[in-house]
Amino acid sequence: MEFELTRKQKELKDALHNLGRYVIRPMSLQMDREHRVPDAFLKQFVAMASSVRSDQDVGAALGDAEEIKREPPSREKPSFGNRTALVGAEELAWGDASLLLCLPGAGLGGPPVKATGTPAQKKKWFGMLADADKRGDLAWGAYGLTEPGAGSDVSGIRTTCRKDGDHWVINGRKCYITNGARAAWVVIFATVDPALGRAGQRAFVVEKGTPGFTVGKIEEKLGLRASETAELVLDDCRVPAENLLGGDAAYEGKSTGFQTAMKTFDSTRPLVASMALGIGRAAYEYVCDAVKERYMLSRPVPRYHAIVERLAKMHRRLEAARMLTWKAAWMADTGQPNAKEASMSKAAAAQAAVRACFEAIEILGADGTIQREDALLEKWFRDIKVYDIFEGTGQIQRVVISKRILSDLKSF
Amino acid sequence: MKSFDPTEEQRMMRDTVADFAREKLRERSREIEGARALPEDLRRAIAELGVTTLTIPEAAGGAGMSALTAALVEEELAWGDAAVPFAMPGPAALGHALLELADDEQQRRLLEPFVSEPARFGAVAWSEARPHARRAGFNTIAKREGDGYVLDGQKAFVLNAGLASTYVVFAQTDESRGWDGIGAFVIDAAAKGVTVGPRYTTLGLDAATFGEVSFQQVVVPARDALLGRGDFARATRRFFARHALSMAARAVGLARAAWEVSRTYADERKAFGKPIGHFQSIAFLLADRHIDVEGARGLVWRAAWTLDTKSGDDVEVLARCAEAAAEALEVAQQCGADAVQIHGGAGFVRDYIVEKYMRDSKQLALCGPTSTTSDQLFAALALGAPLDPALVLPVPDIQPIFT
Repeated sequence: MEFELTRKQKELKDALHNLGRYVIRPMSLQMDREHRVPDAFLKQFVAMASSVRSDQDVGAALGDAEEIKREPPSREKPSFGNRTALVGAEELAWGDASLLLCLPGAGLGGPPVKATGTPAQKKKWFGMLADADKRGDLAWGAYGLTEPGAGSDVSGIRTTCRKDGDHWVINGRKCYITNGARAAWVVIFATVDPALGRAGQRAFVVEKGTPGFTVGKIEEKLGLRASETAELVLDDCRVPAENLLGGDAAYEGKSTGFQTAMKTFDSTRPLVASMALGIGRAAYEYVCDAVKERYMLSRPVPRYHAIVERLAKMHRRLEAARMLTWKAAWMADTGQPNAKEASMSKAAAAQAAVRACFEAIEILGADGTIQREDALLEKWFRDIKVYDIFEGTGQIQRVVISKRILSDLKSF
Repeated sequence: MKSFDPTEEQRMMRDTVADFAREKLRERSREIEGARALPEDLRRAIAELGVTTLTIPEAAGGAGMSALTAALVEEELAWGDAAVPFAMPGPAALGHALLELADDEQQRRLLEPFVSEPARFGAVAWSEARPHARRAGFNTIAKREGDGYVLDGQKAFVLNAGLASTYVVFAQTDESRGWDGIGAFVIDAAAKGVTVGPRYTTLGLDAATFGEVSFQQVVVPARDALLGRGDFARATRRFFARHALSMAARAVGLARAAWEVSRTYADERKAFGKPIGHFQSIAFLLADRHIDVEGARGLVWRAAWTLDTKSGDDVEVLARCAEAAAEALEVAQQCGADAVQIHGGAGFVRDYIVEKYMRDSKQLALCGPTSTTSDQLFAALALGAPLDPALVLPVPDIQPIFT
């Protein structure tokens, strides 16, 4: 066993830490209030990132799907992509979690295109983002699964699709789509017949500007306000047949390519868990710094057992969750199936981080709730909650885990 | 981070002990408990596995294995039966104490007998039978006399009391200096003035021998005073870090065992026409404890790795060990209690093993630094507070512990 970060991981961590501390955090609250990250900053960030992009692992860490190694990793030939990505994600989220979600690139739309897309499709849609990048423009992909009536229960989606000549016609509404309004393309999930369940589902890449594809409202949220969360409306939206992800072949037979695509969530869960840890750690460090210098009843706060025990517990729960995320990522990097471990890491990290933010505010009292440029705790408190919700709620993670630890458990 | 893979040597050692635990310890848990000791054949078998002298340095004839290897082994032993690592022969806490507090000559001289005579027991006497009421520090006094010391006092909650051939006894050397005026002394069980009190009957870990030892005018030659390699306070903290880590590894083993038994029961026991594991309240409870166990396990591995690789970085070593202990002891108790809960009425009767797991988990959580003292130590390190011994060591007059 070896828990030291690699040199590359350390360098990435240090670079992102300094960026977070000196550049990102000072503008964090303003971005939150304005509900956006300035384009100019994103461009600078992308330019900086491309200077290290030749390095595959770092590219993967920055969410560039094309840089993620193509050859599946194994015990003998491990990748470092997932592990390094965790380190990067935690540190960026420590700076500002919304900003991380605003970074240009395929985002959550990347994994399904990568896993199910035909070579031509991958070339087209990843190429579209790469070209924009080369021109110095910002471009995003997005992922549209959730609907007003279906989130965790994927089988409940009601957006319909029907073949019409060499087009598909899609009708429905998608909600809570990260970067949905600005995305150059969105992976949209629809069904040919809700009665068919998973077997009836199809995934399409819908490009911005497609007739019948419009943006509904942009959500106002509890937290992560600088990140754009959009409602998407598909009203007799006609997409070319070649936009069916993976082509017809991907939906035939029992174990379809489409189902494979759904499984790619296993690799994103530890990543989201790491982001939660970044926020939780920020809150923990903040409250430690604050109590260090404080006196209560003429005694330094660190002399109060009831306070310091809570700090220690906050930290160890975060740290235990970090071990779970590292292990899940190590398993992915060595080609071991990690669906259970990925869910465990997500459930643990979100819970520990939410707890850390709540405790931190409680320890600081009213002071912890004030919104100030140099006091971001109230923002983190708002930001963290959704980490126990998106990418599968804490309860869904526990369903996933339950099915893998108990015999013959198909559903509850 | 690079890997969660154990080395080949670690894997072999762990698998060997895991097989032994599964084949030899599991089914004899109640027998071991009833005997209140490890049966002779198991003692021999364990000594043959070489696990009792694992971390004794090579210079003293031991295997000189890493804390990580020891943690993997202790986890498996405790998985088999949590009382076994407490009841098995070997230096026990005395080994940890000598690794940190003794110089090279003392280590060789005092640890070598444990290698050549695998049936020997060691012990550390820390907690006081009667703590001093009006000042900090131990009530057991070590008075300077000539080159050596004369020791007087009564120690309680001593693991291997009466079984041990050698004790490390902590005592007050300077009554005016509280916790800064303490020392540690090696005392032979056969020395004049050493008397063993009655053995306790305990809540759990029945096979372990806990008792009191009193010392009356015991003469300790200078060469048996442990000086902590020049920094006694630091060495004492590191001794407890090792000790805590070892308890944490056992706690993980016990927690894992309790969890696995509960999971199996949830698969088999039916209610309302289906296995109880198919109810979310049971399934999610199992999912949560699984998360807890695996998280604590990661912390223990990482702490052991830190102890092995960052010997110079006290803050990091102490913090990681304290954190792992706090988490693992808490998780083990939760797993023990939840195991009983999941078994319902069956969990409360002795036909099932989980009532023992629950008792063992609480007993184990009081052997060495507790979750509370470990959290205190961690916080002091994290906040850069002075390492006041009264805050960061298990203080017997506040909360006595078994050593």
